[in-house]
Formats: sequence, structure tokens, C-alpha cells
Amino acid sequence: MNLLTSLAIGILFAAGIYQILRRNLIRAAIGLVLISNAVNLFLFSAGAYTGIEAAYSTATRQVSDPLPQALVLTAIVISMGGFAFVLSLLYVISTRYKTSDSDEVKGLKN
Amino acid sequence: MTAWSLLLPLVILVAGVPLTLAFRKKRKLQSALALGLMLAALGFTLGLLRTILKTGQPVTVQMGLWQAPFGITLTADPLSVFMVLMSQTVLSAGLLYSLGSTEKVVHYPTYFPLFLALAAGLTGAFLTGDLFNLFVFAEIIVISGAVLTAIADDTYGVEAAFKYFYISTLAATFFLLGIGSLYVAHGTLNLADLASRIASDPSAPLTTAGMAFLTATFLIKSAAFPFHFWQPDFHAAAPTPVSAMLSSLVVKVGVYAFFRLTTLLFPETQLLKTLLVIIGVAGVLYGGFGAAGTHNVKRMLAYSTLAQIGFILVGIGWGTPLSLAAALVFTFNHALIKAAMLMLAGAVASRAAVKSASFEAVVGVGKYHPWAGVLFLLGGMALAGIPPLNGFTGKLMIFWSGVEAGQYIPLLIIGVASIVTLTYVIRSFVRIWFEPNPRVKEKAGDRLLAPALLVLLSLLLGIWAEPLVSLAQVTAAWLGDPALYIAAILR
Repeated sequence: MNLLTSLAIGILFAAGIYQILRRNLIRAAIGLVLISNAVNLFLFSAGAYTGIEAAYSTATRQVSDPLPQALVLTAIVISMGGFAFVLSLLYVISTRYKTSDSDEVKGLKN
Repeated sequence: MTAWSLLLPLVILVAGVPLTLAFRKKRKLQSALALGLMLAALGFTLGLLRTILKTGQPVTVQMGLWQAPFGITLTADPLSVFMVLMSQTVLSAGLLYSLGSTEKVVHYPTYFPLFLALAAGLTGAFLTGDLFNLFVFAEIIVISGAVLTAIADDTYGVEAAFKYFYISTLAATFFLLGIGSLYVAHGTLNLADLASRIASDPSAPLTTAGMAFLTATFLIKSAAFPFHFWQPDFHAAAPTPVSAMLSSLVVKVGVYAFFRLTTLLFPETQLLKTLLVIIGVAGVLYGGFGAAGTHNVKRMLAYSTLAQIGFILVGIGWGTPLSLAAALVFTFNHALIKAAMLMLAGAVASRAAVKSASFEAVVGVGKYHPWAGVLFLLGGMALAGIPPLNGFTGKLMIFWSGVEAGQYIPLLIIGVASIVTLTYVIRSFVRIWFEPNPRVKEKAGDRLLAPALLVLLSLLLGIWAEPLVSLAQVTAAWLGDPALYIAAILR
């Protein structure tokens, strides 16, 4: 299970990096989401395998660490807001330039 | 009572965001309220500084009364208060400038709430004693800064905001990776607890990886040399008062984090310090020549920030008490000067026939505004480090500490590169105030009160530098012994 999780996180991260390197801005935004999800899973797995019981359980077995879960929740909320903002900026840019190719969006290169 | 002295500067600003949003229909009231809250926060910060200087101990608040390694800690140690004082002084000037600005963006109903959110983010990032909390405050800064740029009058604001926001969000994911790595290695995120655990077990797996991720993150945040590519576009496209804040304060969050990394978390890692010196020297060279080659005043000043951040990183990298004090003095002075210079550049651009900060548009605009010219010349002299202005004190201390540390090669390079500063400042001054331009007409523009106050403060701190220098020395002495910080929080 540990190996499977780490492989899945690695593949997700690699897919995100690949999308970021594309010229299409929408694909780049999707790459950003993939990477932030990979990082969230990494944070989550940082606390997942020390215990097998949830922290709120009254069982005497070792409980799993709740802090990474709290961190992931915060990170998810922040990345959701950030992604909404990225998409709204992309909307303005793509209506102004009529393209989503990053090489065509070059107003700043005057 | 002491707890409130720490919380008030932060709580006032956080509460100011919804409060100013509620008054969005009454613009005069809203702007006066924003400035009032900012000045109140600044006043309480001064009170906080007095408290910690008198007792010699930092003020610490445990949120929700959870004791130190478990809860979130807010700490006002000398470094935090130094940075908060710097940012709130400049932010007050920024709000003052916004009141007299002719740009359309300051009439936007969400402008003042966003500005206060930026202020709250900066204050919180400097005051927090928890790594994850630093991430949250850094995100608040990034989002409010990006939104303020996206609504700019400049049509390219959206593009610049996208570029900045995209890069910063990527940096934030690396910040999270660093946080996760350090949490796996040491099981804590409280800075003091983390520092003591790293000191007792420096070879725990993923510690080095965590350090590398954090270093990469803060190099992007401080826009140091190879990670600066977003910075000139972003700072040049932002509305004038906002770009003054971005270029003088927001990059300092990364600088602050490097103070913490090199003195508290990884004081034994020589590699990190060497890296900072190399990157700093490269930044001084590249920023200096980049500024000399631009065709836009605001862009020139943005490149100059790159060079000045280089000086600060070199000071942090040398790591002696004197060089740390020098880096602190330089940080404070640069914030004042760069904010004043960007405001003056914006004020000049607002008086040009075509509203733009490019040299083509602003040539000769200074003809009807001699006082702005005096301010610009004084600010430029401070930027280049000419006595009797405050830039001189910082540069002198940096050079002096370099001689003391025996670092002659970096010293020679930054010494030569700092002469370039004088070239581009004088050239832009001559072009704006002395070259004839038949198209220039007398025209009202942004008010000059805020940059005048900042330049006056720079002049004052240049003539009477003792309070700032001694405060920086107290802070550097405090930074020299991480055990003090750890003991104050985990008592």
C-alpha cells in the first residue's frame, strides 16, 4: 500500500509537471491542479501510516496523526480559491487575445 | 495585557478587511477608515517594540491557549517587530498615496479592503511562529497582491497578475512539500520546536530535502536572481501605490524567511549561506545592468529591487553579527527608498501626456514640477548610497562587514556593480527633468505628500542613523543565539 501510494503521487506529480511545460495556458492551469493535488496527497501520507485508527476513536490502538489532515484541508481550500482566480484571469486573457497559446499572449514583451 | 499588545496590530488589520468592505458605498469614509486603522496598527506596533526593548524578552501568544509545540504560536521577537514596523510604516505611506491618486483603480470598492488584506498578510507572516501559518499568510499576500494588480488601469495588469499568481502558486506547492518533508522528519511545525529538534538530530531523513524546498520557495518569493523573471513585469504593471508595496515589502517576506532559515532552523548549514552569497552577488550584477538597460522608469526600479535584494542576501549569507545588522538596516532603508521612488515614478507618469511610465512618455515631464525633481534626486542618491541619506548607512555597513569577514571577491563585485546604480538613477533624473519635450503641458496628477514623507524619513535616518542601527544591532545579537528564541517559546 505504501509503495502504491508513493507511485501514484509520483505519477500525478510527473503528469502535472508535463502539463505545466505545455504551451497551452489551460493545460498549464490543469497541471497546476494536478501538482497541488499530488502535494496534498504527499502531506496526507505524511501522517497516514503511523496509525490505523482515526484520532477521534476511543479504541486503544495507535491512532493516526490528525495534524496533516488539518493541513491538507487548509491547503485544499486555498488551492481551490487560487484555481478559481487563475481560471478567471485566463478567461479575461483568452477573450482579449482570442487564443490560449502562451506564445501568443505577449503584451508585456513590448 | 501583554498578549493584546501583540495581537492588536494584527487583529486591527484583519478586522479592517470586512469593516472597509461594509463601507464600500461611501468612498471617503472607507478610505479614511482604512488609513485610520493602518495608523492605529502602526501605533500599537511601536508600543510593542517599546515593550520588548524594555523587557528584553519577546512577547508570545499561544492561540487558543494550546501550549507551544501543539498550538499555533504568534511571536513578536526583535526580528519580527523590526519587519512589522518597516512594513506598516511603508503601508501607511501607500494608503496615503492611494488617497491622493488619480488612478481609476483606487475608486474600486474592493481596493481598500484588498490593501488592508495585504497589510494583514504581511503583519501575520512576520509575527507567526509556525511554518504552516507562514504559508497561509504568504498565500493571503499573494492573492491580495495579484488581485490588486489584475484590476490595475494598465491593460497588461491581468497578464502580469496571471504570471505572478501562477509562479507563486507553484512556489506555494513547493512550500507545502518542504513543510511535509520537515514534518515527516521531525514531527512538528512550530519554528522553535523544529529548530531544537533539527539541532539535536540534523541527519534525520528528508531534513535536507525540506531545506532545499524551502530555499527554492523563498528564492522565488524574494525574486532573487535566477527566479526573478516574473518580478519586473509584475511590479511595472501594478497600480502605483500597490507596486510600491510589492517592490519594497512583499519581496521582503522571502528575505525574512532567509533570516529565520540561516539563524534559527539551519544555523550549521554552511552550504545555504554560500548559496545565498553567490545568488546575491549574481543578483546585484544582473539587477544593476538590467536596470540600466530598461526603457521604463517603473521597470528600472523593479530591476533595481533585484540588485538591492542581492545586497541583503549577501549580508545574510556572510552571517556575522555585523553583516546581519547591515542586512537589516539595508532592508529597512530599501523599503523606504524604493516605495518613495516608485511613488515618484508613478506621480510623474500620471502627469505625462500619455499615461505611461516609459521614458518616451515621461521625458521632460518634470519641467513644471521642480519639487518632485528634488525628491527624486534625493531618493536616487539614497538608492545609490550617497551620504547624508540612509542608503549610505546600509551600504557602508555591508562593505565594512565584508572587509571584517575577509570576503574580498564578492565585495569587489558588488562594489563595482553598485556604481551602476548611480548611472541609471542620474540618467533617468536627467531625462525626466532636463530634456526638453514640446508635448509636455502642465497637468495635475497624483499627490506628492506620501513620497515626500518617505524621503524626509530617509533623510532623517541618514543624518540621525543611530536609533535604526542600534535596533538592528540588538536584533542581530538576538539572532546570533537561536537558543534564546527556543527558550522564550518552549519555556
